Amino acid sequence: MTQTLTEDDIYRTSTQFRLWSFSPESLAALRKQTHDLAITRARQYAVDADIRDGKKDVDCLRRDEELRLVQRYCEQIRTTSDHFKWPVHVKATAVQYLRRFYLSNSVHTYPPKEIYKTVLFLACKTEATHMTLSEYARRISTDPDVILAPEYKIMQALRFTLDVRQPYRGLKGVLMEMLNMANGMVGEVEGVDTKGARELQQDMLTLEHPGTQATTPWKAPGSRKIDGKTLVERINAAYSAARTLLDGPALLTDVHFLYTPSQILLAALHLADEPLASLYLMTKLPLKSDARPKILATIAACADIIGNFSTKQILSKAERADLETRLERCRDPSTKDLVKTHAAAKRGSESDEEVKVQKRKAAREKHQKEGDDLFGPNLGGGRG
Amino acid sequence: MATSPALDVPAEPPLKRRKVSPEPPDITTQVADLAEQLDAQERKKYVKGAKLGSGQYADVFSAHLVSDPTKLVAIKKIKVGPEVKEFGISYDSLREIKFLQELDHPNIIKLHAVFSTKNQNLNLVLEHLPQGDLLKLIQDVGGVQYTSADIKSWMLMLLRATHFCHKNNILHRDIKPNNLLIAADGSIKLADFGLARSMADPFQPMTYNTITIWYRPPELFFQAQHYGGQVDVWSCGCVFAELVAREVMFRAWPETEINMVKMICEKVGTPTEENWPGVSKLRGYVTPTEFVPLRPRDQWLASFRTIGEQGVDLLVKMLTLDPRQRLSAEGVLRHEFWTSEPRPSRLKDLPRRGGGVETMGEDLTQRGAELPRQNGRADKVARKIDFGAMK
Ligand SMILES: Nc1ncnc2c1ncn2[C@@H]1O[C@H](COP(=O)(O)OP(=O)(O)OP(=O)(O)O)[C@@H](O)[C@H]1O
Repeated sequence: MTQTLTEDDIYRTSTQFRLWSFSPESLAALRKQTHDLAITRARQYAVDADIRDGKKDVDCLRRDEELRLVQRYCEQIRTTSDHFKWPVHVKATAVQYLRRFYLSNSVHTYPPKEIYKTVLFLACKTEATHMTLSEYARRISTDPDVILAPEYKIMQALRFTLDVRQPYRGLKGVLMEMLNMANGMVGEVEGVDTKGARELQQDMLTLEHPGTQATTPWKAPGSRKIDGKTLVERINAAYSAARTLLDGPALLTDVHFLYTPSQILLAALHLADEPLASLYLMTKLPLKSDARPKILATIAACADIIGNFSTKQILSKAERADLETRLERCRDPSTKDLVKTHAAAKRGSESDEEVKVQKRKAAREKHQKEGDDLFGPNLGGGRG
Repeated sequence: MATSPALDVPAEPPLKRRKVSPEPPDITTQVADLAEQLDAQERKKYVKGAKLGSGQYADVFSAHLVSDPTKLVAIKKIKVGPEVKEFGISYDSLREIKFLQELDHPNIIKLHAVFSTKNQNLNLVLEHLPQGDLLKLIQDVGGVQYTSADIKSWMLMLLRATHFCHKNNILHRDIKPNNLLIAADGSIKLADFGLARSMADPFQPMTYNTITIWYRPPELFFQAQHYGGQVDVWSCGCVFAELVAREVMFRAWPETEINMVKMICEKVGTPTEENWPGVSKLRGYVTPTEFVPLRPRDQWLASFRTIGEQGVDLLVKMLTLDPRQRLSAEGVLRHEFWTSEPRPSRLKDLPRRGGGVETMGEDLTQRGAELPRQNGRADKVARKIDFGAMK
């Protein structure tokens, strides 16, 4: 009667898994398509006739530049959200909204400068954090209309899915479990050789110390064997180091498109304190399990991405200004005044609105195929 | 006030925004972006028909698929009211969309899709549920008779839906008979997720000002800011009692919170440290001066005899004052009531309003099956690994 659903069964029904999980290849292909479409468009709206005629190249941002600009605004969302002391879920959701938005939109059409504030406000609402628009607008010194104008556009690009699955609660769960192990409270784990609670506790006390690459701030004492209190410190330090990785690098890279929340949190723990993470995994994954090598490889690959991230990759102010100046020269003029478009749409249809719709419809049909390919079954869905 | 780091970003100078663009861009060069195309495709799948009803926040229309006129859906078009100026898209509609998109269960209203019109209105394409709601059945005392087996069947569906929400970390927070819609096949579907939220982390406070007052559990009247699935179980208990008695269990008049607390005290008993350890520390804890002891079992039995001893036992455990002693949704589903006689009525035997109205067409094929589909191998990786999130 009460069917048992594993956490994982549930994850697989999530929109995050169904719509927003990719293989690295499919993710790259999607971005390329969006970028190429924007470039094609830029040729059409270019002021320079030579560009329109194909005699000259458009000076648009390259794909990697688009990505870095978006990343810069992910960072902006982080700092703004932290400034407001909003819960971590707001910022993680907002960052992911922004990343999802730019899978189907180019920065040439909607510069992130004009989108990120709206995305953050939207995340604030969907994550049950209350701040009125007027207060938010006042505190970031922005006209409320400017914040609201792209809201529907963003909903559309998010394909009306608003839930972002996060690794934070899971990491907390792992912390609790490790603390229980350290206290000798976790015994037999089904199907795994742990020899019992005492042994497990002993194994933890005599665990190899974290390597020099580890991000944990915990400093190992001289001897290999440590006492219970020191072990608890080690676990807590590993947790907070992992948390720091989830708060920063994990939000500034593509890992949320490529891995599940639990893979991401284990990768973070792995980077924080590898021997500890391995021991923990050992209690979950039998050595003999066929799936084990694949799971470990997945976690390692995710850890690589997070570990390779460095804050130096984030655009400096000057670099950003540079890119945005170039962007301004080739940005799509049709989306320039979102406030006006939004207001017009709100007022309902002016007579020429109908004509517009007709024309747009024709254009849309012409480009239908691109749409089908873009989000078609060949790309979306789970990772193989 | 400290300046926001957002200020770091050069604001678009207002002048620039207001400057009229020299020429309206040539429309023919415009290409709808990909998300817009998908949105339009979705919109074009349906033919809108008659208005089914209209609520405070939305108008609901009947519609069918262009490709198959026998497949009916309901399109809920969110009204754009004046509050849009202060909030943008409302919390209610965002919550409804957010949670229904994630939930796929035979007893939860299915959200097939969402699309926008003129980039302004949100339209929710919902499962078509033509038989009204449970409240109308309860109130149609002259027209509809039902048995305890029928009640059991409805309650079972409600509890499965509630349990499924909780498994997904979602609190519904507005369970009541008019949010239980009835499908063409007689099954009931939990609807209206406008007040729902994710279960918060243990230390994060939640609002206590939620759930329609008659179905609100005592801990919320006492302003508890940390609560869980048990709030929904209380509401389910109220629905259970209402199905039996055919009147609202806790209906205070005038409808004030203090009168509600009084009513709960009268009908269940006064919450005290003895029956609810810690209750006196809740911020809003106040009880009427007149102390009422917990209502004895035989009195419960006298009022709710029709559902039998098992049924009464379950009801009492759902309407337990202390949320920690109240059953969880899973606990409710494990109760012997469900397996004791009588068996829950089969869907086709459940009473309908107006007596066996012809079904108005097939509902869209349900995507929701009892068990999530198993697909692919990549899943194994995730299954083995997703233990972290269990906490
Ligand atoms: N899925 C559906 N199938 C058929 N009819 C529906 C469906 N959903 C709603 N309706 C009808 O539309 C009416 C309005 O529904 P809606 O959910 O907007 O508001 P409500 O719950 O009645 O009111 P409110 O939430 O504003 O108090 C309902 O009373 C019902 O008659």
